[in-house]
Amino acid sequence: MRTPAALVALIATAAAYALGCAAAQATTVTVRVRTAAGAPAADAVVVFEPLDRHAPVAPAHPEAVIDQIHKLFVPHVKVIRTGTAVWFPNSDRIRHQVYSFSPAKTFSLKLYAGAPKKAVVFDKPGLVVLGCNIHDSMIAFVLVVDTPYFAKAPASGDAQLALPAGRYRMRLWDESLSAPVPPRTVVVGDSPLDLPVTLELSATPDPAAAWP
Amino acid sequence: MQLRTRIAVTLFLLVAAVLAAALTVVSIANRRNATREVNRRLDIGSLVFGQALEENRKQLAQAAQAVAADYAFKEAVAARDTDTLASALENAGARIGASLEVLTSLDGQVEAAAGTNLRPGTAFAVPGLLDPRAPGRAHSAIMVSGARVYQLVAARVRSPLPVAWVVMGFALDGNSLRNLAALTDLGITLSVRHGATWVRPVSTLPRSTRLRSGEYVTRDIPLLTRPEVSVVATLSRSLDAALAPFERLRRVLYAIALTSLLGSAVAAFWLAGDITRPLRRLTAAVARIRGGSYDAPVDVHRHDEIGLLAEGLQVMQSEVLSRDLAIRRLAYEDPLTGLMNRTAFVEALDRAVAAAGVPQIVAVVNLDRFRRINEHLGFATGDAVLLGIASRLRELTAPSTAVARLAADQFAVFRPLQVDETPLAWAGTLASRFAEPAIVDDQPIDVSATIGVAVAPVDAATAEALLRCAELSIEHARRRKQAVAAYSTQLAPAARDQLSLLGELRRAIALDELRLYFQPKWSLTTGRIVGAEVLLRWQHPQRGLLGPGAFLPFAEQTGFIRRITAWTLDRAAAQAAAWQSAGRSLPLAINVTADDIADARFHLQVAEALERHALMPHLLSLEVTESGFIDDPGRAIEMLSALAALGVKLSIDDFGTGYSSLSHLAHMPVDEVKIDRSFVLGLERDEQFAAVIRSAIEMGHRLGLAIVAEGIETDSAAEALAAMGCDVGQGYWLSAPRPLADFEHWLREREAADEANRAAAAGSGRMPRESRA
Repeated sequence: MRTPAALVALIATAAAYALGCAAAQATTVTVRVRTAAGAPAADAVVVFEPLDRHAPVAPAHPEAVIDQIHKLFVPHVKVIRTGTAVWFPNSDRIRHQVYSFSPAKTFSLKLYAGAPKKAVVFDKPGLVVLGCNIHDSMIAFVLVVDTPYFAKAPASGDAQLALPAGRYRMRLWDESLSAPVPPRTVVVGDSPLDLPVTLELSATPDPAAAWP
Repeated sequence: MQLRTRIAVTLFLLVAAVLAAALTVVSIANRRNATREVNRRLDIGSLVFGQALEENRKQLAQAAQAVAADYAFKEAVAARDTDTLASALENAGARIGASLEVLTSLDGQVEAAAGTNLRPGTAFAVPGLLDPRAPGRAHSAIMVSGARVYQLVAARVRSPLPVAWVVMGFALDGNSLRNLAALTDLGITLSVRHGATWVRPVSTLPRSTRLRSGEYVTRDIPLLTRPEVSVVATLSRSLDAALAPFERLRRVLYAIALTSLLGSAVAAFWLAGDITRPLRRLTAAVARIRGGSYDAPVDVHRHDEIGLLAEGLQVMQSEVLSRDLAIRRLAYEDPLTGLMNRTAFVEALDRAVAAAGVPQIVAVVNLDRFRRINEHLGFATGDAVLLGIASRLRELTAPSTAVARLAADQFAVFRPLQVDETPLAWAGTLASRFAEPAIVDDQPIDVSATIGVAVAPVDAATAEALLRCAELSIEHARRRKQAVAAYSTQLAPAARDQLSLLGELRRAIALDELRLYFQPKWSLTTGRIVGAEVLLRWQHPQRGLLGPGAFLPFAEQTGFIRRITAWTLDRAAAQAAAWQSAGRSLPLAINVTADDIADARFHLQVAEALERHALMPHLLSLEVTESGFIDDPGRAIEMLSALAALGVKLSIDDFGTGYSSLSHLAHMPVDEVKIDRSFVLGLERDEQFAAVIRSAIEMGHRLGLAIVAEGIETDSAAEALAAMGCDVGQGYWLSAPRPLADFEHWLREREAADEANRAAAAGSGRMPRESRA
């Protein structure tokens, strides 16, 4: 008897997800990321990895775009779910050669201008550092994660997420970190959570080391 | 030092000093210039050295950055393909000739290396090199690895974040230092300090070079300064090398200096010689002139000061010569008559006596009473008379006759004695030339002469001795009232070795060999002894007792009489004083000569004697012969007045023999007159004499003078004189001169007899006479 009930519940949950009406069931979690000096840490990335077993969730955004404008990658920091295909259009009049030697994704786009022929699929989680072979100053960070729950802090430093109730492991990353921030277990209930976080930013940052 | 040497040495030293100063200044300036130049080179060298290191750094940086930016290299880094990386590094390094290439992780672990034995995985710790915070250009450093020094540059490998360092370096080894040295033209030495120990791993200079020795100027450029290790590059330049061009210049200067020094020495020597050579010639000329030779010309002809000096010397020489001739003339010629003077005559006579074997006859002609001619007729007339006589004598034209004027009124003649003539005959011929009176201004003036002759070598062998013989002959002639006399040895007692006689007389005075003899004077009216005349005898040690004739004439001739008079004065005064203190007032008379009277200090001498013996002046009487007044009556009267003022008694001796002027006598402050013995001796023979004596007594009394008669030898003479009114008598009739003891004895007896006589027959002028001694 219990099986059908459980199954029903599961289906219900799945349905809720599928219908996108799970909002009613999601709890708002606000992570207030600050530097040690108390300043808002913009572009800091907050990632919640569910600790409870969940049904795999299909990528919500199977494609993403990182533009190249005025010899800058835009956006500078991009968080994507594993398997996302990222397009690297070149909005500059000059050509760029986008490459990565990061273990999570090693690739190189031959020197090009305008729209690339194909997108680059980031199929493994991890931090990918992008560069342009002919413009050393062009750097972008692509954080490939296995969870749909993540956010990039806005200028105010307060990242807001809508999380279903459950237990999560909260990870933090910022390009100015030189070491990983220890993960925290966060239990999300019905009531919104307000999590202040302080990042020890380094003068000699090692962004790769900060995301093992 | 000779003038020549002195001039030469002075000039030489002067030039040497100037050259030494110039060389010193040049040397100092050279050294200063060289030092400045070296310092400038070092300044430039330091800049060049810094620039070269910077160029190195840039080159290394370019190469390192190039390899770090290479995409394939980045791939290899990402792939950790160590071998590929090492070869890529080596390849990149080889392009610029780097000696060390290393790839390290960001934290300095070696991942790949070339040109070094660093193993992957070891630490590559170069302080300051791999500092990610350092600005882009600063990734360079100096590394010391063992004994090697590297200049390193690091570049980051970005893919795109920094993932590794590429380090490239040049070794600062001998080659690179040599290149730098060539570039800077300086010596470069690296010094490395490990702890407290300095080593000098590499240098472009020889090993033995001592940089701090002062030979080098150095500039230290610190390349690395850390507590445990330091690296210093020392740029150096040898001062000697910098001085080398100056040294060449200095050698040239030394050569010039030496040449000019030698030149100046030669020039100085030549110049000095040019000055001193004529000076030496002048000195020789002066020596010659000093030696009395005035005829050679001064042989220096120049147109400078020395030439003027030579001309001056020449003029001086001729003036000296003419003056010398004048002096010679004065020395040998009588200025008035032009005849030879005494000197010339003596020389000529000596020459004649020495030269010829023929006997020479010499005559001395003394003019009688010539002084009176001068006095009464004036010097001009006197001179005219002398000239007349001179011309008369010049008429003696017999061959080899020499005529001279010896003194004012004395002439001399000599010539060879003819075979058949006698000296006296020739003297007579001479005397005949004076028979005629001399005529001056149409006035005849009688001139008589007394002539004495002597013959050489019979009478004497020298001119002076011959003249003396002739003069003795004159005296002999005068004594005999003759016009001429020839010398004979009888005239010569005093002429015997007169020089030794003079010595003996000196000794006589010194050893008290002279004796005082006393001859009494008595009053012809009262018969009393009124005084005594002091006479001299010489107790000669060999010749026995000598009378005054044996030595007084000689003493008068030689002037020694002054000493004898002084001695006599002293002794007589002493004796009179002795008697005076014994209560006997017996005036003593001493003889005084013309010489004494002529001495302006004689009266002082007398006063001194009186004072010395505390003698009453009236107890001393001075008897002056007439000749004492003849030479200079004025002076004689002055002296007699001075003597009279002392209070001593004065008397005229030998009155009647000389030529005393009666007018003078009237003015003379004398007390008595002694009539000469010749009159008294002739008194009984010749009535003429008696008349003279009588008138003399009368005249003397008129003038207030006492009259003394000496030479009374007979009774009758004494009586006659007393009858004539003569006041005092003296002579053998009463007593011969007696020595002191004898005289005193005689005196005492006489006084005793006097007492007895006075008692017996008072008032008689006659006295008992004594027998002649």
